[in-house]
Amino acid sequence: MAAKQSSGRFWSGLISAYGQELVVLGCIVVMFVVVGTYNPRFLNNTNLVTIFSGNAYIAVAAIGMSLVIITGNIDVSVGSLIGVLATVAGTLVVNGAPVWVSWIVPVFVGMAINTVLGLLVAYLRIPAIVASLGMLSILKGGLITATGGKWITGMPEGFFLAQQRWFDVPAPIWFMVILTVLAAYWMRVFPTGRTFYAVGGNAEAARAAGIDPRRTCVLAFTLHGLFAGIAAVLFCTQLQVIQSTVPPGLELTVITASVIGGVSILGGTGTVIGSTLASILFGCLGSAMVFLNVSAYWLRAVLGLLILATVLADMARRSRYQSAATA
Amino acid sequence: MTKNILVRHETILAALLVVALMVLTTQSSHFFTVENLLNQARLMAEMGIVGLGMTFIIVTGGIDLSVGSILGLVAILLGVFWKNVGLPLPVAMFLAVVAGSLAGLFNGFIITRFKVPPLIATLATLALYRGLAEGISESRSVRGYPEWFYVLGQGDVWGIPTQLWVFLALAVVAIFILGVTPFGRTIYAIGSNAVAARFSGISVNRSLLAIYTASGFLASIAGVIFVSRVSTTRSDMGTGLELDVITAVVLGGTSIFGGRGTVVGTLLGLMLMQALKSGLLLAGVKGDGTITAIGVVLIGTVIVSNLFRMNTDG
Amino acid sequence: MLKNALLASAALLLLGGSAQAATWMGGDDQPTNPLACDATPPTAVAKPYDGGQATNPADLKGKPIKVVDVPKLIGIGYFNATSKGIADGAKELGNVDAKTDGPTKANIDEQITFIDNYITSGVNGILFAANDPVAISPVLKKALSKGIHVVGYDANSQPDAREWFINQAQFNGIAKSLLDNMVKETGEDAGIAIVTSTFTTPNQARWIAEMAAYAAKCHPKLQFLETVEAQEDNNLSFNQATTLINKYGDKMKGIFGMTSVATPAAAEAVTQAGKCGKVAVIGLATPNAMKPYVAKDCVKSVVLWNPVDLGYAAVEVLRAVVDGTLKPGATSVKAGKLGELQVVNGSEILLGAPFVFTKDNIGKFDF
Repeated sequence: MAAKQSSGRFWSGLISAYGQELVVLGCIVVMFVVVGTYNPRFLNNTNLVTIFSGNAYIAVAAIGMSLVIITGNIDVSVGSLIGVLATVAGTLVVNGAPVWVSWIVPVFVGMAINTVLGLLVAYLRIPAIVASLGMLSILKGGLITATGGKWITGMPEGFFLAQQRWFDVPAPIWFMVILTVLAAYWMRVFPTGRTFYAVGGNAEAARAAGIDPRRTCVLAFTLHGLFAGIAAVLFCTQLQVIQSTVPPGLELTVITASVIGGVSILGGTGTVIGSTLASILFGCLGSAMVFLNVSAYWLRAVLGLLILATVLADMARRSRYQSAATA
Repeated sequence: MTKNILVRHETILAALLVVALMVLTTQSSHFFTVENLLNQARLMAEMGIVGLGMTFIIVTGGIDLSVGSILGLVAILLGVFWKNVGLPLPVAMFLAVVAGSLAGLFNGFIITRFKVPPLIATLATLALYRGLAEGISESRSVRGYPEWFYVLGQGDVWGIPTQLWVFLALAVVAIFILGVTPFGRTIYAIGSNAVAARFSGISVNRSLLAIYTASGFLASIAGVIFVSRVSTTRSDMGTGLELDVITAVVLGGTSIFGGRGTVVGTLLGLMLMQALKSGLLLAGVKGDGTITAIGVVLIGTVIVSNLFRMNTDG
Repeated sequence: MLKNALLASAALLLLGGSAQAATWMGGDDQPTNPLACDATPPTAVAKPYDGGQATNPADLKGKPIKVVDVPKLIGIGYFNATSKGIADGAKELGNVDAKTDGPTKANIDEQITFIDNYITSGVNGILFAANDPVAISPVLKKALSKGIHVVGYDANSQPDAREWFINQAQFNGIAKSLLDNMVKETGEDAGIAIVTSTFTTPNQARWIAEMAAYAAKCHPKLQFLETVEAQEDNNLSFNQATTLINKYGDKMKGIFGMTSVATPAAAEAVTQAGKCGKVAVIGLATPNAMKPYVAKDCVKSVVLWNPVDLGYAAVEVLRAVVDGTLKPGATSVKAGKLGELQVVNGSEILLGAPFVFTKDNIGKFDF
């Protein structure tokens, strides 16, 4: 009797802990089935691989964003940051720097810029949305000023990291999977990782427990910069041209991926696995629309509805879990 | 007491605005002319009208990212109601505004009934409303409005741009409601401590529904004005408006955490932003430099304001 | 409950959207005028002058003038090239101070604000490439009413909102050139897809409409599979092109890139999919972005015009207007090193025939 109860509780515990991630995974599966039936070419190896590797950089950026959101903050400047870092990488390699340098430097620059952002938020007490709004403008304007709006072309062959394949799997997919697993493991198991959840859940309680919320906050931003740097390198090594602009609305895509993946904007919960799954969902959705012959016009509306549905499902689950827990 | 007024954010901002105006005037003789100031006011009106509603929302600790999309949707609906459905233009305008207000109501509904955090809810509706605009219009524009319609966006009444009259009227109403009426105090209460507000008998949900609907309503008005100003409708109108408006509101001293802020502050913030955009361009700075400058001003103002507050709070 | 309603609406939209999709290719609904299928040159249409006029402009004949160039957006290769052309022309003329400034995304709201502010700053001339022909007209008319000269290039406004418009090539001429070059590579019986910026961009929509008309007339066996939007973004264009390649497989023999961003991205997609030589890529692009693909023989020809010349012509025409050497009713205008340019359609100045970049000449250009 007790054993049956506890196994039931195990499953419901698993579902409530990973519920959101399972919902997203479910959506992906449903989409594959629906589109695959309609046009089997969608399930083609080349197609799926292309979608995953083309959008992997969003998943990597979403890992960093998830860290920031879990600690209770947000960053709307990540789009512009990726643009800046991509230009840094391109400029370095075109001016003769070794290829590996042009991959590594953007990562450090990203960490540096976002550490500044973290310091503004943690020590100068500027709300994260305000600080990152300001940073967005500074980066966007600064990038155009620095490049004069010119494209960067003529990168040497070895530069294109994102086009390489290791064991017949494209490099971006390796990055996406390995980084997600590492980050998720680190946050669950290592004390420093778990402080993120603590600070996001209740900063005062965390402080009372001896954790310095400010230091944790800055660390979250610095790591976010690390991931943004890697994402930028994946982003700019895919094509032969580096623009001084990034896909419109990139920051909102990254934030949405984190949130849909289960990271609560209220802070304190969610995993990076969810955000990676959500990035995959979005990447596939765009392609799925084309395969389904859906008029491109309705794509964004469908996306909005999907976000709403997922969030509502999350809130419903949360309140059910809470009322069950207090019962 | 005087010290408190002196170090209020709004006062600092007003001083900053005066300094900026003076500096920019020295950079170009075209800046501080009646004609330019009126023109800037005309360009600012749409953002200003939306900013009025955004102030209320941010004071309650919420946010509305969907205002730009509502503007675009209303613009499209205006064209559709008038040209495709064939309604008389005033009726089309009215219905479009109603639709936009309903969009705001929907935002409020999701936020209050389903307890979705405003950031997420309006992030979703940002995509949804923009998507509806694109889908309904199929990216085709509607043009060819009658002459009288353009007076709203391009004309003057007694020498002042028409939309400026609309903006000023709405601003006065907004200042009055937020600053003087009990409803305004309710808004501040919700922003300071929503739980306490609820326990003291304030109908938090009803108030939130009202302000999100109002935000949709104001975005609709701005949309109609915008269509009148450019004489056509496009599904991408208003993209990026939300970030500009939020910048202006925060610049104006409204705390993103809620509980503090005034409409006057938002107006000052708007004026400062518009002055910078205009003055810097006249001084020879190109678009990218202006974008950077606004980012620096935003962060700088908040830092300064925080420093002052930390000193006085003690 | 609400969640179910939302999911149901999403499904409905999907179904409704799929019903709509098959029909529209992205062309606008204005009348088309396809050219002859062979090499007969187009007959020039003589129309009375229909441009606007500046009201009481200052007499600046021979004197230095200040000019601002407000393209659709800054930060893409195409408008960097036109900007360079404008700068070259200004330097050559010697008495023109030209500056390029504009929005960072192809948005009409911001472009209007830029132009409005420059009017206030007292420029003598405005050059523009419009994001929307109707929306930009009120502010341009305001410029004209203040005695500022207005000349457009690349993307037109309404005729009475500017004095002259430099058209890189006739819309139907571009359509003919693109299609003829495509058919040379793919053959008559082929499936073709189009990657464009957005469906509202005026010149792209015009070209597509003309292409459809010309194809119906002269290449009836060509099937237009689909048109996708990719805004002006490199990454998005690449993803869209790859999706098209995957979706249609061998049915698709060619891709048109309608913007200078879409074409290199489409070429990259074809290269990475290993379909070089099997899927032709034709379109608008700047030479630098296409050099790697042309070198590998993945792309045989880039049908275009020279955007640097376009900018150069624009500033030369503006100078001629200010100096009074170009008046309404003229049939041609001398544009510096480009020689005499024809006036067509009343107030449009034709840059010339489309320019084709191939392996032989692409190395000579650096923009």
